[in-house]
Amino acid sequence: MAGGGDLGGGGGRPKRGKNSKRKAKKRVGFRIDMTPLVDITFLLLTFFMFVTTLTTPQVMDMAVPPETEDIEVAESKLFTVRVREDGKIFYNQAKDIPLPILMKELRVKAIKSNLDLKNELITVLKIDDNVPYETVVNILDELNLAEIKITQSLQAEKLNRVRKFTISPLTDKDKEEIKGL
Amino acid sequence: MPKVKMKRTGFVIDMTPLVDITFLLLTFFMFTAKFKSEADSEQKFQIKRPKTQADTAKLPEKDVAVIRIAIDSTKATDTAYYFSVANPELWNTIKEDPSLSEWFTPDRKESSKGMIKTVKIEELEALISVTRTQSKAFNITKKTSADKAQMRFAIDSDKRIRFKWISDVMEALRRTRQTQFNFVTDKQQ
Repeated sequence: MAGGGDLGGGGGRPKRGKNSKRKAKKRVGFRIDMTPLVDITFLLLTFFMFVTTLTTPQVMDMAVPPETEDIEVAESKLFTVRVREDGKIFYNQAKDIPLPILMKELRVKAIKSNLDLKNELITVLKIDDNVPYETVVNILDELNLAEIKITQSLQAEKLNRVRKFTISPLTDKDKEEIKGL
Repeated sequence: MPKVKMKRTGFVIDMTPLVDITFLLLTFFMFTAKFKSEADSEQKFQIKRPKTQADTAKLPEKDVAVIRIAIDSTKATDTAYYFSVANPELWNTIKEDPSLSEWFTPDRKESSKGMIKTVKIEELEALISVTRTQSKAFNITKKTSADKAQMRFAIDSDKRIRFKWISDVMEALRRTRQTQFNFVTDKQQ
């Protein structure tokens, strides 16, 4: 509104004389060439789009038992999963003979064993030192997936899930047991 | 009647909506952009994380100590532990801790600004232990309870690493009474 100088007369500017030759120009909108602006903006946009990493890594919870004296547990409640050097998985419950199991069967087996013994079962994972880390994480993932199902099933029976799980080293005795299977 | 040939003089497009949207996107990406930390820029290896389905929790951005175990791309035998802490202030106090001075010599400090490389499990254990005590001391200096957080430990390992490396770290964590920790994984698509 800078154009209308002599309207009302209350403005700070002194009034022009009667015989002023200058005509009040009628202003029409103006155009700015926005092309360079758009160029730069797009450049920045693509830069930031490539720089941002939208995928943040996830975490899996793990816990090891604190270093205390060995706790006596009933062997009948032990569900042992052993992983041999070549990546083969063996499972056994109580004093049964270890049986080979495939990775994809592990989840179903874990669910079944856990639901049979409702919160009493202790899962023990024993892994050979030469097994790749990926195998370990895959087994843990399968057990975690089984856990979801177990919790759901127990909740249907109005029971709270108490997970009993531990990782322990694969001893020579363990190695002997699963040798040649 | 002859047709009058109009002289074409280019055309004008109103770019205002385009600019609006572009600026909007630009500001969005500018605010969400996370730049590499000192530890990340020092990292000369790439970690191929194992993929999982069950995990949903995200790796926290602060109050986390990460133990990286990677396969060196050039030499497969050259595997080492890389220890780093997300909080820069805490990280500096850990590095200056007198109990580490025996092996953490000035020239090693020079070469490890963002993360400490070590092949010895005893050194890693000392680092974990120092981090635990220093983070507790660091928490006391914080005024509001919202700023106080428990230090979390995460093992970020390459999927091809032998389990021996991981079980050694787990043993070290257990010995320092850090029984809770995390494995860093990637989402299975």
